Amino acid sequence: MSCADGKNCNEAKKRRRGIIVLGLMIMIFIILSGFSFLGSRGRANPDAISFGAHQAADGKRVFQAYNCMGCHTMVGNGAYLAPDLTKEYTTAGPAWLAAFLPSAAGWPTEAAVRTQLTNSDVAADAGVDNIEDYYKKFPGARERVERRGGGTTLMPNLAFSSDEVGQLIAFMKYSAAMNTEGWPPEVKTGSLERRLALLNGGSHMLATATAASAPVAEGASATPADPVARGEELTKEYACTACHALDDKRMVGPGWGGLYGSRVKLADGSTVTADDTYLIDAVIAPDKQIVEGFPPGVMPKYDTLLKDDDVKAIVAYIKSLEKP
Amino acid sequence: MQIQYNTQRLSMRFFMLMLVLFVFQAGFGLLLAAQQADPMLLAGIINFNVVRAEHLNLGLLWILAGFIGAILFVGPLLSKRELASPWLIKFLFYALVVTIVWNVGTQYLAMEGTAGWWAGQPWLQEGLEYIEAGRAADLVILIGFSILAYVVLRTFPPVSEWNEIHWGLGIGVVALTVVWVFGLFYIPTIDMQEYFRWFVVHYWVEGVWEVIHISLVGMLLVLLFKVDVKSVGFAVFWGVLLVWLSGLIGNAHHYFWIGTPEFWQFWGSLFSALEPLPLIFCFWHVYLDAHQNRKPIENAPAFYFILGSVVLEQVGAGILGFTMTFALTNVWSHGTWITPAHGHLALFGTFGMLGIGAAYYAVPVMRKALDFDQRLGKLAFWLLFTGMLGIALAFALGGTVQIYAYRTLGLEWFGGDVFPIMGIYKMLVPVAGLLFTLGVGILVFDLVTLGKRVRSLAGAGETEPLVSHSPHGWAKPLTGYEASMWLTGMWLFGAIITLGLLSFNLHMVRVEGNPILPYVLAGIGYPGLLLITVLFVWRFLASLEARASAPMRLGEAALAPA
Repeated sequence: MSCADGKNCNEAKKRRRGIIVLGLMIMIFIILSGFSFLGSRGRANPDAISFGAHQAADGKRVFQAYNCMGCHTMVGNGAYLAPDLTKEYTTAGPAWLAAFLPSAAGWPTEAAVRTQLTNSDVAADAGVDNIEDYYKKFPGARERVERRGGGTTLMPNLAFSSDEVGQLIAFMKYSAAMNTEGWPPEVKTGSLERRLALLNGGSHMLATATAASAPVAEGASATPADPVARGEELTKEYACTACHALDDKRMVGPGWGGLYGSRVKLADGSTVTADDTYLIDAVIAPDKQIVEGFPPGVMPKYDTLLKDDDVKAIVAYIKSLEKP
Repeated sequence: MQIQYNTQRLSMRFFMLMLVLFVFQAGFGLLLAAQQADPMLLAGIINFNVVRAEHLNLGLLWILAGFIGAILFVGPLLSKRELASPWLIKFLFYALVVTIVWNVGTQYLAMEGTAGWWAGQPWLQEGLEYIEAGRAADLVILIGFSILAYVVLRTFPPVSEWNEIHWGLGIGVVALTVVWVFGLFYIPTIDMQEYFRWFVVHYWVEGVWEVIHISLVGMLLVLLFKVDVKSVGFAVFWGVLLVWLSGLIGNAHHYFWIGTPEFWQFWGSLFSALEPLPLIFCFWHVYLDAHQNRKPIENAPAFYFILGSVVLEQVGAGILGFTMTFALTNVWSHGTWITPAHGHLALFGTFGMLGIGAAYYAVPVMRKALDFDQRLGKLAFWLLFTGMLGIALAFALGGTVQIYAYRTLGLEWFGGDVFPIMGIYKMLVPVAGLLFTLGVGILVFDLVTLGKRVRSLAGAGETEPLVSHSPHGWAKPLTGYEASMWLTGMWLFGAIITLGLLSFNLHMVRVEGNPILPYVLAGIGYPGLLLITVLFVWRFLASLEARASAPMRLGEAALAPA
């Protein structure tokens, strides 16, 4: 294979030719690259995509700041511990994501998704305002709520602010709008039941069915007479702890531990006592009184989602929580 | 062999730094493997993404430290004079240490989402795979590369006197710096960001590291076997040119699904299928050079690791890379565990083993311990080699079932659907990882204390079998015909793996959901490939060991203690 001493094998000429071919390759590559980023291709543009008031371009910075790619993949690149996020927006939709992201350690329940749909920004983005239509439009959300709702995830809770949550959703809306040329490949193996049966030969289907029905059954069956227990249950169902800590830590919203009976300073400068009236208002009409240091419009209004007794039960539960 | 130029000794600190970083990288790797098996492990204390960033970054950094050490060691030999500006090299070392510590620390900020945005750039950490370092560290690294390029070019003789190894290393160190620049800008769109991210990652590996690798392998073979520089020069030139001819457009295999046009699938499939050619070429030359004469190998561990580097380059980068480089196979393997099977073998195998091989060559020379006990080095090689093959096997088989559950069946609940079916392979990664880690421990102990340990008389030197007559059987000389048969065997298993990935496109798998064909092909292909690789390396080394004749060993040992 090598050119031995004394043999004339036109080595210098061959090498020159090789380098000329290399030059040709470089030209091909540059031309292909130029075509890839032509404006006329209609690439998805993060500057033109938003979710409510949140820009996809900002979301990309949040995505990088938390090194999401260190567990997930985006367009298939990244780590392989967690699912690919490219088409996540198309699968689960904005309401599911808005319910999930603030406390990623738990899977959102239907109540939590429905709560998000009462937010006009979310509903406008989803293009639907009730859960049935939402499930039709984003079937992945139904599958997740039914199979996983109320369970714990393998993702740690990250301290996303409410702005960051919105920006991340905008970013995933952008990634879902990209043309990834047929990747990931379309699933052609049929219904979820069939696919689950294929995965684990039928036994798995039963297991998940029980797992999925368990939290629902728990919530729906016996309504406990004790309002504190009922409140605790509702707190789980509506995933209140996505934003509120059970101690006095600040998350997206104020912590609940020791809140009842304490003096709360409001954004307008006044101070009120956190009594029943105040807390009930804070659940059904949260923007009436904004606590100092928290932005308005983050907490959803629960007036149509919860019955009066349920609101009272939640307040009773809050009352039972002490400062650690 | 002894030190001819004093500044060669500057390479020692880089080799030692390499070993320290290797220990930490392997430690983070073991933690990652444990977190794969139990994702709740240390969640909230040190999350998987932070550990992975450290694992990737330290992996690149120790390989670079090994390269720098090797370049500094051979630079004066190539130039027949001392290194230019040794103080700059000392500065480079301390700057590198500070940057590494800084970068390890700043990666942790991803836990709370702090990137350090200022002037539109993330200064503390960037959150992009492989180039996680923040802009501050990036700039220091750029300065470091510039220093390395400056010192190497200043040390080399005038360009008119350059041979192919000068050209390879010269272009390598300059390109190392130039390519890095593409990672220094924040890009607001995903497609263009990924386009340029692969400029850094792919062109570093395929365009720059490969060139440095070929040049260093060439130079080390010249030193180890005293082969003709001219024949190595021929291999270096055509090796480098083939790497570029295939790898330049071959980068397109990263542009299939990132939002760039479909035509990349054609160009990427075509040219990256050619990427193994230079590796076969390099492989063949190592065989030729190692069998050029019948002299015994004086430094077995150094040659073991260089052989490991070339063979794993063939298997990890060449064959496993080939299997997933076509649009029709990549559409399935992309974004699954199939990728790290290739990545681990290719990156550690090709580049990591070369750095270790160079250290095994250089450290005994610098410590005046040419008669060092080679048994620990050989043991470390076998543990690292088989450990890494085991890790790759776990990833590859786990990846195959992952494709089925995640892509074919479209079940995207990792905790509930995908992980349970991957379970056994998730456990296999830390098991193989433990074997590997044991190898790391022995390697580091051996290289750090080499020449400083008290040599036990009985164990000193080699315990070669005394072969008085011509060796036969497993240890008989390896002929070119036999070597090519081994290589063909490896590619045969590679073809089976490729067919396995292709079979995911079949109606039977894709629509009917029957995974039997891809499972069987992967079940034959991957274990077969890795087994034949182990057997071939064993066979190759046995044939080389056999030529070590006992009298020469003894004579050398008597001369050495000086």
